[in-house]
Amino acid sequence: MRRAVFLIIPVFILFILSASIVFAQVQTRIRVVEASNVGSNIDSSLRDVTGQLGSLFSFSSYRLLRDETVTLSPNRPLSIPVHPGRSLELTLIRQRRHTAEVRVQIKREGTDILDTQVRLFPGRTVSIGGPKHGQGTLLIALSASF
Amino acid sequence: MTDPERVLVEGHLLECPTCRDALRSMESLRNLIKSPVEAAVEKEELPWVWQKIEREIRSEEKLSWWKGIWDWFDVTPLLRKRVLIPAVAVTVLLILLTAPLLFKKTSSYPGQSVVEYVESQTYNVMIYETENAKMTVIWLFEGPDQERSTS
Repeated sequence: MRRAVFLIIPVFILFILSASIVFAQVQTRIRVVEASNVGSNIDSSLRDVTGQLGSLFSFSSYRLLRDETVTLSPNRPLSIPVHPGRSLELTLIRQRRHTAEVRVQIKREGTDILDTQVRLFPGRTVSIGGPKHGQGTLLIALSASF
Repeated sequence: MTDPERVLVEGHLLECPTCRDALRSMESLRNLIKSPVEAAVEKEELPWVWQKIEREIRSEEKLSWWKGIWDWFDVTPLLRKRVLIPAVAVTVLLILLTAPLLFKKTSSYPGQSVVEYVESQTYNVMIYETENAKMTVIWLFEGPDQERSTS
């Protein structure tokens, strides 16, 4: 009995450790926003983002186009359409205790227009913006929770 | 003292008052010593003596820690090998797996850049990063006529 316990406990710990490495996942929230100076509507779910961006940009309107939370697994790219002809591809490169390193690619008709790798921290938003969208500008806000 | 000797001594004592007196004084001296010794023996705390003996026995019985671990397995040498080899293998594996986790430098974002790299062959890129606002912005400039002004 004692011998069995002696073997089972390390195997169990090993399983937990392996599982945490193999099954590492990061919940990532993606918000696609059209920022413009047409009107002054600000979606209520964008208060945190607009509060941060307000000091940097002079847009008067922030319209939420898409709000999606996806689960990223290591080295499994996940593609999300963000605009006709454009897509966002996210790949979890590695996850550490307080950070998730994510590769972000924005593609237009299959070609990379942006390729970047960012560290996502809980409570911190990374925004990617610039491409024109309608009368405004496209903004993609990424945040992670894990 | 043999019986003939004892008869001789007792016969002499009957006739000799000096030796009788000497014997009497020797007997009183013996009684004087005997009583306290017997009393001391009677008063001796035997349970304490036993405790002392028991403690000595136990300290001799105490095994070394290594022997204790070894006895814990309490198996035949063949079975001991069958248990020890996987146990050692699992322990080594655990150490190898946990050591990098324990000794790696923990990243904390104030000392690090959020953006590791940015590549764009078609756009100019600006990165704006602030720690206080917990915000990082990667801005793509589509062209001189389409650039957005920043405040």
